[in-house]
Amino acid sequence: MKSDHELVPVHEIMDEKEVRSLFEKMNITQNNLPKIFTSDPQAKKLSAKPGQIIKVHRTDFGNEYLYYRLVVEG
Amino acid sequence: MAKKSNNYNVQYGEPVGMIAAQSVGEPGTQMILRLFHFAGIEATVTTSGLPRLAELVDAKKRPTTPITYVYIEDGAKKDFEKVEAIAKKINEVKMQNIVRRFVENFPKKRIKFFLNSQELEAAGLTSKQIASKIEKLFEVEAEADEDAVTVRLQTTNMKIIRNTGVRMMRSVISGIEGVGKAIIQQDKKTGEYFIIATGNNLGAIMDVAGVDKYRLYTNDVFAMYKQFGIESARYTLAKELMHTLSEQSITVDHRHLLLIADAMTSSGTIKGIGRHGLSGQKNSVLARAAYEETVKHLINAAAFGEIDPMSGVTENILVGKLIPLGTGSVKLAMKSGDTSKVKKNK
Repeated sequence: MKSDHELVPVHEIMDEKEVRSLFEKMNITQNNLPKIFTSDPQAKKLSAKPGQIIKVHRTDFGNEYLYYRLVVEG
Repeated sequence: MAKKSNNYNVQYGEPVGMIAAQSVGEPGTQMILRLFHFAGIEATVTTSGLPRLAELVDAKKRPTTPITYVYIEDGAKKDFEKVEAIAKKINEVKMQNIVRRFVENFPKKRIKFFLNSQELEAAGLTSKQIASKIEKLFEVEAEADEDAVTVRLQTTNMKIIRNTGVRMMRSVISGIEGVGKAIIQQDKKTGEYFIIATGNNLGAIMDVAGVDKYRLYTNDVFAMYKQFGIESARYTLAKELMHTLSEQSITVDHRHLLLIADAMTSSGTIKGIGRHGLSGQKNSVLARAAYEETVKHLINAAAFGEIDPMSGVTENILVGKLIPLGTGSVKLAMKSGDTSKVKKNK
């Protein structure tokens, strides 16, 4: 998978099952997550709706990990 | 290897934010207050040092010196002439840059622009192109001579003619609006050419044929946010912080800077650190009151019946409780009725 820009990691909408297991594993609710606006270019591209969770495949200096953002209206 | 590196993971309850703040703050005191740095070329001066650092951390909407780095697609990036052609498309040329002077002829409803032929040649334009561009922009008739353009207007109203003339002088004839000079640079390592442009208008630059959209970059964090989203803004922020610090040969671990960038972008938009940003929007009333504008926060909290969850550090120090950091972040509780592990007193 390749995103459309060097500095943009791959974004992906999570399905509900995945979200539930994530919350259980991390012992959090969706309010603990960082946010992303629906007007964000990347969220627009995925046509994400408020309440959904976007999984971000980040790479920081060769260190690969996942980051999650809650889609909010804005 | 993996096992070894896992031994160095951050422990639970470690105050990473505080460590990050101290790690950036201490070298920050050693920075030169105002240093002008020429990025290898004349004419592009970027703010650097402490003013730039403050600009980034405060999330200023527009940097003082926005600069766009335009890279060229694989096929043409080592071909100087092709790169030059793209640079000409980007380089903003206003009418006033190429016109020596303009003369209005009020009774004949005409404005005559005398062109500066040297500037014209440098911009790669002809008087015919200018005439047709003016026709398109202002919906008037324009005639091109050797070194002049004559515009015919419909009215004899002196005020309107003068105003149109001034407006025409300010209009962008070629290139992209919002971009100033475009200068071609060569990467010493790879030998490829790229363009450095002052100002930014990412959306328009992306539409120029031959530009590598994948590597387009600007030091304006908000412009990156608008064009590519919050994740790219975070990287840009961290990258710019790193660049500003390393320029003055200050080495700060990148994880501190990434953490700061993470904190600033966690709300979905870019928030500065300070009264109007992160510190001013904390959950706790006491933490906010302890920072700045004490009375305002306390009165508002009292008037609206705010509740302090007492989950942060500041408010817990304030009331003399154990702070939720390190060993303080762990609480022990006993299951009610479960006394099997309790030693019985004889």
